[in-house]
Amino acid sequence: MAADVLIVLAKAVLAMTWTLLLALFLTWVERKESAVMQDRIGANRASIFGLRLFGLFQPFADAIKMFFKEDFVPSFARKPLHWLAPAVSFFCVSVTMIAVPFGDAIRLFGRRIPLQVADLDAAVLFVLAMLGLGVYGILTGGWASANRFGLIGSLRGAAQLISYEVALGLSLVGLIMVFPSLRLSRIVEYQGGLLFGVLPKWGIFLQPLGFAVFFLAGLAETKRVPFDLPEGESEIIGFYTEYSGLKFGLFMFTDFLEVIVFAALAATLFFGGWQVPWLGDGGFVFPWGGRIAAAPWAVTVLRVLSFNLKVLFFCWLQILVRWTYPRLRYDQVMDLGWKVLVPAGAFNILATGLVLAVR
Amino acid sequence: MGSAWTVIKEILRGSAITARHFFVNMTFHTLRLFGLRTARRGAVTVQYPEEAKPLGPRHRSLHRLRPRPDGRPSCVACMLCVTVCPSECLTVEAAEDPDPEVQKVPARFVVDLNRCCFCGLCVEACPVDAIRMDTGEIRLAALDRKALEVRLDKP
Amino acid sequence: MSAPKTVRLTIDGRAVEADAGTNVLRAAEKAGIAIPHFCFHPGLDVEGSCRMCLVEIEGLPKLELACSTVVREGLAVRTTTERVRRARRDVLEFLLAEHPLDCPICDKAGECRLQDYYDLHGRHPGRMLEPRESRAKKVPIGRGLILDRERCVLCTRCVRFLRQVTGTGELGVFERALRSEIGIFDGTPVDNRYAGNLVDICPVGAITSEDFRFRTRAWFLTRRPSICPHCSRGCAVSVESRAGYPLAEGERRVYRIAARENPAVNGFWMCDLGREGRRDIEAGRLSVPLRQGRPDPGLSWTEAAGEAAAAIGRIPAGERGEKTAVVLNGRLTCEELARARASFVDGLGCRNIFFADSRPGRADGPLLTAERTPNLRGAVAAGFSPRLPDLGELAAARVLLVFGSRLAEHHGGPELARALSGGPRTFLFAAHAGPLDGLAEMAVPVAVPAEKSGTYINIDGLAQAFDRSLEPAPGGPAEGAVLEALARGLGLDRGGGDGR
Repeated sequence: MAADVLIVLAKAVLAMTWTLLLALFLTWVERKESAVMQDRIGANRASIFGLRLFGLFQPFADAIKMFFKEDFVPSFARKPLHWLAPAVSFFCVSVTMIAVPFGDAIRLFGRRIPLQVADLDAAVLFVLAMLGLGVYGILTGGWASANRFGLIGSLRGAAQLISYEVALGLSLVGLIMVFPSLRLSRIVEYQGGLLFGVLPKWGIFLQPLGFAVFFLAGLAETKRVPFDLPEGESEIIGFYTEYSGLKFGLFMFTDFLEVIVFAALAATLFFGGWQVPWLGDGGFVFPWGGRIAAAPWAVTVLRVLSFNLKVLFFCWLQILVRWTYPRLRYDQVMDLGWKVLVPAGAFNILATGLVLAVR
Repeated sequence: MGSAWTVIKEILRGSAITARHFFVNMTFHTLRLFGLRTARRGAVTVQYPEEAKPLGPRHRSLHRLRPRPDGRPSCVACMLCVTVCPSECLTVEAAEDPDPEVQKVPARFVVDLNRCCFCGLCVEACPVDAIRMDTGEIRLAALDRKALEVRLDKP
Repeated sequence: MSAPKTVRLTIDGRAVEADAGTNVLRAAEKAGIAIPHFCFHPGLDVEGSCRMCLVEIEGLPKLELACSTVVREGLAVRTTTERVRRARRDVLEFLLAEHPLDCPICDKAGECRLQDYYDLHGRHPGRMLEPRESRAKKVPIGRGLILDRERCVLCTRCVRFLRQVTGTGELGVFERALRSEIGIFDGTPVDNRYAGNLVDICPVGAITSEDFRFRTRAWFLTRRPSICPHCSRGCAVSVESRAGYPLAEGERRVYRIAARENPAVNGFWMCDLGREGRRDIEAGRLSVPLRQGRPDPGLSWTEAAGEAAAAIGRIPAGERGEKTAVVLNGRLTCEELARARASFVDGLGCRNIFFADSRPGRADGPLLTAERTPNLRGAVAAGFSPRLPDLGELAAARVLLVFGSRLAEHHGGPELARALSGGPRTFLFAAHAGPLDGLAEMAVPVAVPAEKSGTYINIDGLAQAFDRSLEPAPGGPAEGAVLEALARGLGLDRGGGDGR
């Protein structure tokens, strides 16, 4: 019993560490990727004893800066809520990672340990709910600042997130119809099969329209650039106008966490999670004949690596999107959400149901 | 429907352009990292303090007074530069020179870089081509305003 | 004086009326038609040596000199024909053939006739291939004047001035033709108190003054009219100052004082003492208010005036006239003196009113008078009979108001100290520092004449109003304002004062 608790604790700590380190790393990736896209070099001056490492220490420099900046709270702000808002945001987003499987199970000391913090029955609903709760961070942040611009920004954000929550939910219904489970571990396992004997049975191949809706709605959920209306850092004033120092840093960090969570969900739900194409428990079995045997530890390593690579790819893709497109106008955001994504999601459910019924 | 397709096409094209830049630049960055010097570089950035772009031939930098053959400034303290200066940053005090062919020399020639806007009108106004802005000195920051009042008549 | 006879003539087709006996150049100038000239000066005899003022006169075959042609009835003059213009350009070319390109270092640049005329009438490229004649460029000719023979155009204005106006004749033209040059006769430099005028009348930069040389450029200066306060002649002067930026350490406020034309008083001239007045405006000024001899920047003149009035107010009403002594001076304007009279004589019944001024000097030449103070006539006109202060009477007073710093010139410092210590409460309002500063309870700086407006009555009884030609230093009011504040403090102000 105690061992179980310890194992869960260790997994939780590991998952959290992985996420936070990746988020820290992402701040650097964001700077460098945008620079390379724009023929620049990007931050490369931060160094430790002259060791620069392409500016890899920049996140630490940023963190130190954030720590030592003045934490300014307006005298008219509601102070407890002002404190609470970034914490709520951060908590709601980071806690979703417990439901994500990083790999299949490993065997240690005679125990089967799934590489997943908690294999929840209704993991998909849990994830959607937690992402939805993130809105409260935004709302309380904007409201507690007692700043009109902050409040308007947070209302904009809330409206946007709730709109896209609908599309996000609809896009997953089709998936759940195909993989009849709400457990993420089960969904990943389902994706280990083959489609037409050749293609891996990934969500993207079964639910292409569902993925399109999911991807766009997910982008909007992260409130990053094409959909950054709540924040609008360059022109319009957003919900964290009155935040500075560490609390502002937490909001920003949450942004990167959302990117990771979204990437992990996309990988898990539509790209086979930790599955490697044609890799079974015993090794590769190729549909055109031939097999490569692999030791169980090698299989586990390959699967964890596969999941990580998929997550990194989606992080990269999101940053690419963020540095490519200009911000949508507010009415365009609403149009896209309600007039395109929601009908498309509904149509996807209908089509999936028809296909399932006919077959 | 046609217009929707155009929109999607354009959206994808945008991503393709930025992605192409990313991969092409990344390739050259990687080649460079492994010691392969290519003619093309991954970035157009000039790492300023280590490498400096050459200044243009007409670039206006810190002023100097052109010396006479004997080393003294060739300025005759006519104050035309003071007259023309739009930021009123020049102060010239004249003094008598024992040489009757020279007569007037600057006793003090101060340019106040706090005020100077580097328009170069003083250079154009000078009748004896004494003041020029071709030192190439562009690092003119200082922690003290007094340090930005540069005396040009004494090195 | 009978009205002068006038003649009618036409200049450039315009009907012009001119006094009989004047020349065409003056007549044209009066009509607003400028004829370029170097050697002609309205204060000197006509010389006709520069040939710049050539004009066309109907009926005469050649061009004539506008300066030496006396106006006649029906004369038709043309100043803008092609012939005249060519003549001007050719004369300028001859003059400039030997003129150095000194403008950047020449003090005259900006107010130089040669420069102006080249711009208006010359604009020809140089055609001289031969090297320029080189001449002495720095010849001291006495009294701080420096002659540059390269720049000289031999108009002989200086020679004529010294012969006709001062009668001293120190300068002459030596050698002949191409080698002609201005010079002093062996070892006798220019030495008279009007030599400063040579700089004013030189049309080019040939004669410059050491005092002004290389200090600034003419175009930086602001010229404002004023009246010279250094003798009782009251010459019209222009105070040439440079206000505001850039004021380096030791830079002057007033660069020079030059003569201004006033036919009723000084003609075109002024004496060197008046030019030296530049120093009187800047040097030796009382700059910070003093309290018991110690600098007190917080002491304002209003406070000092109020304190003085309060001190007088504390004397029993019947004794105020007896126990108050006032020392005025001849630099106060008529308005200020009238106010002083109204306050002290009419208001307080004060009989101890004295005048302390610079000691008289020696009268010299046509302008400089022996009296070195501008407005003693004004004092008389205001009803005072100026008399020198008597130390005994000063010591007997309980409150002593002193205007001006000249009291110490008449009584030695120790004497004054003995008389004033323990005696009256002394309030000093002076523009200049002096031995009296330490003896007064409060000493407040006030304006010099150039910094205030008013009226002076000169030695001939001519009243001349003048306006301030310099902005006074902050906290340095005109005495008129002090007197007004005093009157108000004494309860004598009946309103209507204009603060001068």
